[in-house]
Amino acid sequence: MIRGVFYRKQRAALNGFHPVHRTLVEERATAVTLRPADTDGLIRSFAAHAAAIRRRRWRLPERVPGVLVPLMRVLAADMRADAPLGVAVDFRGPKAPGKEGPAIALPVRLPYLSVRQWFAFDPWLRMRAELRDGGALELAVVDRVRFRRIKKNSSRGKIKIKTKSKTVRLVTVSRRLPKGAVLTRPATPPPGWIAVRVKEGSRPVVRVRARLPESVEGPELVRRTLLMTTETFRWTAPQPRRSR
Amino acid sequence: MNPCGVITGFFLLNPCGRPSVTACARCGRALCQHHADASGLCPECAAPADPYDSGWASGYRRTYYSDSSTTYNDPNWYSTFDSYDRGAFDQGGDWASGGGDFDGDDFGDSGFVDS
Repeated sequence: MIRGVFYRKQRAALNGFHPVHRTLVEERATAVTLRPADTDGLIRSFAAHAAAIRRRRWRLPERVPGVLVPLMRVLAADMRADAPLGVAVDFRGPKAPGKEGPAIALPVRLPYLSVRQWFAFDPWLRMRAELRDGGALELAVVDRVRFRRIKKNSSRGKIKIKTKSKTVRLVTVSRRLPKGAVLTRPATPPPGWIAVRVKEGSRPVVRVRARLPESVEGPELVRRTLLMTTETFRWTAPQPRRSR
Repeated sequence: MNPCGVITGFFLLNPCGRPSVTACARCGRALCQHHADASGLCPECAAPADPYDSGWASGYRRTYYSDSSTTYNDPNWYSTFDSYDRGAFDQGGDWASGGGDFDGDDFGDSGFVDS
């Protein structure tokens, strides 16, 4: 087979994209630190993807327009122009090398012949933004996937093997407040699906966690993540507004 | 001098405060030269629905405010907003945004954990 004959136009288009965009398409993972103004160039590059690339292998992961871009837009809105926005994404999935843990054998009885179980931890999104108020906001989305490989005798005497998986999505949002900030307990509690931990000190930290089902994706995941982020901001007293 | 009425930021809200030169053609807010777009709209009225567009966060902020209002029901949190922002919670008011954002909270409010 002659290499380089196919997809020449699409390859040329791919080479013209933002370097971070290209790495994400080719390796399904990337980590970068950008200034808020530089995120515009990267997002414009993402926006041009669908028109230029049709090859399935080079498709843009759905989480880029669904989750990554909206969160980049929101975080950039609260940052100084020269502050760094750190983004690390890994869309290779939970079966990528290094993500799966050791398997253990579970006790079984007939008709089951064996059940092996292992877990995979897939941290597919991490972001860190230094905010305009001198604090920092970190958010992480990790999929914890349980795999079970089940070997059993069917009623007709055949040996059947199937693998099942169950995913729990763990979302963590941490806000490190600027020095000297005072924490105030919010007047109302957060929703029951949000767990809050507070660390007092010269630079207090408010950490919010939630376990979400696998079905929470795209705009709904953005919405839930922002609601969690809201909780970290409710612990600081409202700033007096200048009269306008 | 009438200052610009645009609020910048998403969680850390700040009034722009620059001298206004015009008013938004849709909501009537005072606008500075920096925040008036070519069609004479403020960033929120002109906000696109696509996150790929740079002004998306300004428009999404209103949707987010009304969503967080049903989830948290926290009067102190709302006091950080100005009358324009609070309009998102006022169903049927002059500033109310579209309908359909005022559904009840589906997640319950069983209280704090580990705080």
